[in-house]
Amino acid sequence: MEQHSDTFLENASKALGNKAQADIRDLLGLFTPLLRNAAVDNFEHFEALRHHVKRVRQHSLDNLDHYLATYEQQALKNGNRVHFANSGDDLNSIVLDICQQHNAQRIAKGKSMITEETGLNDFLQRANLDVMETDLGEYIIQQAGETPSHIVGPALHKSADEVRQLFLQKHDLGERELDNTEDIVGEARQILREHFLKAQVGIIGANALVAEDGYSMLVTNEGNGDLCANLPPVLIICTSVERILPRAEDATAMLRLLVRSATGQSQTCYTSFYSGPRREQDVDGPLETHIVLLDNRRTEILASDYREMLQCIRCGACLNHCPIYNSVGGHAYGSVYMGPMGSVLTPLLSSLEESNALPNACTSCGRCAEVCPAEIPLPDLLRDLRHQETVEKITAPRWRIGLKLHTWLARNPRLYHWLTGVGIHLLHLAGRKRGSFRKLPLAGGWTSQRDFPTPQGKTFMQQYRAQRKQS
Amino acid sequence: MTDSSRAGIFSRVRQASAGADSAEIAAQLRSLGRAPAAALPCADLYTSFLINVLKNHGTADLASNRSEAVTATSKYIYQHYNTHRLVAGNDPRLAAMPWREAGVLPRFGALEPGEPVSLSYARLAVAELGAVVTFTGKANPAANNLLAENHIVMVDCMDLVVDMEAAWERIRQITDQEQRPRGVNFIAGPSSTADIEGKQIYGAHGPRQWHVILLGDVPATALQEARSIAAP
Ligand code: SF4
Repeated sequence: MEQHSDTFLENASKALGNKAQADIRDLLGLFTPLLRNAAVDNFEHFEALRHHVKRVRQHSLDNLDHYLATYEQQALKNGNRVHFANSGDDLNSIVLDICQQHNAQRIAKGKSMITEETGLNDFLQRANLDVMETDLGEYIIQQAGETPSHIVGPALHKSADEVRQLFLQKHDLGERELDNTEDIVGEARQILREHFLKAQVGIIGANALVAEDGYSMLVTNEGNGDLCANLPPVLIICTSVERILPRAEDATAMLRLLVRSATGQSQTCYTSFYSGPRREQDVDGPLETHIVLLDNRRTEILASDYREMLQCIRCGACLNHCPIYNSVGGHAYGSVYMGPMGSVLTPLLSSLEESNALPNACTSCGRCAEVCPAEIPLPDLLRDLRHQETVEKITAPRWRIGLKLHTWLARNPRLYHWLTGVGIHLLHLAGRKRGSFRKLPLAGGWTSQRDFPTPQGKTFMQQYRAQRKQS
Repeated sequence: MTDSSRAGIFSRVRQASAGADSAEIAAQLRSLGRAPAAALPCADLYTSFLINVLKNHGTADLASNRSEAVTATSKYIYQHYNTHRLVAGNDPRLAAMPWREAGVLPRFGALEPGEPVSLSYARLAVAELGAVVTFTGKANPAANNLLAENHIVMVDCMDLVVDMEAAWERIRQITDQEQRPRGVNFIAGPSSTADIEGKQIYGAHGPRQWHVILLGDVPATALQEARSIAAP
């Protein structure tokens, strides 16, 4: 998808002004953490599991040369063709080539973050291919011409009525009104079933790749990924190098974390492991299977201090628990990855210049790190990115000057306390009559939404000292 | 493009890797031990599996032998579709069932559009998930898992394992004898979606209903107990 993280602040202001959308986000911000917490509480040894999977993932990344070679060897042995793509453009071209070699027109696509990252749909559509997303959420936003607002539930920003209106507009429904959610889902089922049966190429992602046997694991509730993987004559799996795990049981151990953290389920309906093309006696299944492994700077991240970010399992828990994400929504981030994980990943996959606002979209509350099943220290990584912004002089000059001034003052505590004391005293004098300020210099953003209460006259430290003297 | 990309990716990965040899890597991996699994909902393995099947929005039945399994299937499809027809993969275990005893008319092969009921014979079942495990292939075409309105799955109680680690151990034993399966599918419920307002709807793309028949020497009380525990 086209990235526009450089306008994060404008996007965020716009999002905050849309009351209906803000209400949906408030609701999601309440109930998604509840679902996750209940599922985690039900799993007796969640912390031990989290720790185990973290160590396995760390081990996999530490020895990625070994596991990547083993995976490739096994995937080839299973009858797949394995392709490597340095960049998103490379991946798109490889996929288009395969489609064109088969004169394919109709493509059925399962949910795949990697192809969102590379903008594959647009690329294939520009070559006149008919690409249809088959995950219900992805299908809805594709029909609406929108981008995902969440990495797990891409259309959760839409109300049932909005989806109904969309289908009334886009589908030939005759007399049908689609009065309830069941009918809306039934309508999508019917349309997509036809597409599955006629598609010449299926494209899916992978939640994990298994080095020991060359399997790729896909987890869905709908079963659309399995339909894409099994009905069309050609299957293309688009994934990235860091998804590799040593053994099948490592993939299913990770799954225990993923389902609980993502949707609060204890398992998904379909957990499928694909090895390769159909065998001689099989009556269905793809005749040809391709695996495209994307790098797109991941090997750079592997060699950097941000390596831990490669352990992300794309569960979305950090989004659900983030006060910024819940306030501004996923679209404001202007990237396929959003929330805390996106604020780290987007700058690393593109550039810090382009997305410098994202690492600052953080209150340092720490909730994301608390719930992240991969134990990624997200607030630390965001802080490191902010530090890098300052070092590389990407941060706006007035912020840099402000920070420098603050650092200097913090190193001179006496002066700091004296100055803050004077400031608070002056504010107290100026606002004492009215009790609050409508506007304040340097705090326009804050006062644009609410009044600033007049300080009662003394700083915290002044009061603290006075109390200690009394006692 | 892919060759030069491959060389570049491998070289960058090599530079960032620890450079350990295969034996060291295998030893390190072994030392990480085993992942903890989800606790079973009760002490009995059969009951636990059935509880989880019911919680996954499936329905379940027991059959102590093949005749009972055929009768249970016959009743189930007649009740739901007023028919005795179903589609089953070319699984020798299904071919050997006494279908005529209960008047069931199976067609062996892959499900075609318009056929509502399919039957699979699972290779394994996993109590931790309340899932059955099928292998895609001639004995169980993918279409039978995915395109039916109603998917019935039989599984032997001897093939029920406690968790996913145990399932992989059994799958490895099987693949020591047979070719690696084309697909290994853990199925835990009918197809579902919560993509619209988070509301759970069944029958998103695949089966709307999922019915498991556990075959073998399983006490009838296991299902009764599972129903009482899983009831909302
Ligand atoms: S960073 Fe952690 S919480 Fe966020 S999506 Fe990745 S694994 Fe999930």
